[in-house]
Amino acid sequence: MQPARRRLLYSIILILGFVWILISADRKGISTTGQIPAPQQGFLAPDFALKTPAGETVKLSDLRGQAVLVNLWATWCPPCRAEMQTIENVYNAYKDRGFTVLAVNMTYQDNPLEIMPFVNGQGLSYPILLDETGDMANAYQLKSLPSSYFIGRDGIIDEVVIGGPMAEALLRTRIEEILK
Amino acid sequence: MLPLFRSLFAPPRHLILLLAALWIGLILAEKRATRHGIPREALNNIVYYSLLGYILGGRLLFAVANLSAFTQSPLSLFSLNIDLFDPLGGLVSALLVGFIYGQRQKLALWPTCDALTPIFGVLWIGLSLAHLAAGTAFGSPTTLPWGIVLWNDTRHPTQVYELIASLLAFAAIWFHKSGPPAGSSFLLFTALTAGARLVLEAFRGDSTLVFGGLRLAQVIAWIVLAAVLFSAEWILGRNEEPIK
Repeated sequence: MQPARRRLLYSIILILGFVWILISADRKGISTTGQIPAPQQGFLAPDFALKTPAGETVKLSDLRGQAVLVNLWATWCPPCRAEMQTIENVYNAYKDRGFTVLAVNMTYQDNPLEIMPFVNGQGLSYPILLDETGDMANAYQLKSLPSSYFIGRDGIIDEVVIGGPMAEALLRTRIEEILK
Repeated sequence: MLPLFRSLFAPPRHLILLLAALWIGLILAEKRATRHGIPREALNNIVYYSLLGYILGGRLLFAVANLSAFTQSPLSLFSLNIDLFDPLGGLVSALLVGFIYGQRQKLALWPTCDALTPIFGVLWIGLSLAHLAAGTAFGSPTTLPWGIVLWNDTRHPTQVYELIASLLAFAAIWFHKSGPPAGSSFLLFTALTAGARLVLEAFRGDSTLVFGGLRLAQVIAWIVLAAVLFSAEWILGRNEEPIK
């Protein structure tokens, strides 16, 4: 191709690209996914109301204004068990700054008789919730355990961590982020 | 088909796709390395050292950026958590390590870039598949008949668009006649990648917005595209004989 034609072609490509950026600018906020509940970063955390082993009901949306870690776990899952104590450490370190943990046990696929002995044995002080029907797991499209959702004060998921056990530094960096 | 694929490669298993892509890319690049005057061993070494630079640099830079968390839990530095990682820092480290290795081995820049291009091409295919499996890089809501249900809405299948673009880009570089001027395969691939991102980002539902609605990835892709076209013009201009 002749150099002059080639330069013209390159210029046209760049001008068209620039026009496309302006045309496809998101002025209506299509990218703002924070209004739709979905278990993904940037979306509103799907709401749930679950019972604790003591029979008390805890609703996620009632915790709006707090930074929340929702951790999905089961007693038969070794990485879940391994990270519970680390979560306890950071819970104690950050709870006074408006941070809480909801550790949702996948009771529908766990042995209910093993849950409280494990929790008491570990000395866990944060709320344990029971998903007895699997509805919460479905809402969070659970595929692997453990799954952790770091939710900001506005109820929007800031980070999803699939798998574990989570290192303490990972928990601390993510919690600092959602406490902002 | 799609639910089965997403279930099979659900996070963190989606990373298998990236590792497989790296492995296949390296095999393909090895086959073509000598065409560009790069010894196979040197190509292998540059990839392995860069990979090491990516992993170590990404972890160390993440630790530096979050120093207070790591001083309270120093052993986390050796954690197997892949989330304790700075991808951009890792990329910069990998480029730096690769560049230093290339300099020490006296590898010419543009032929080395050409020899590495098949790896980049297959990695992009792997990345598209990983996005599809994890449901990341998702599209904006649409009523088009080919929309896919993802994150509780019918959306543009941006991961599929990306996969098609990556396959086409790979075909373009694989069948591209790689002769002089050196660097043409690499620049072609970079231009196609930047161009695809410029076009496809418009359908994404997770864009980072700047300046009242402009999509940041498009702005960066446009700058990269402009840089590639200027580089191509400079290289081509240098190689063309003056008109008599």
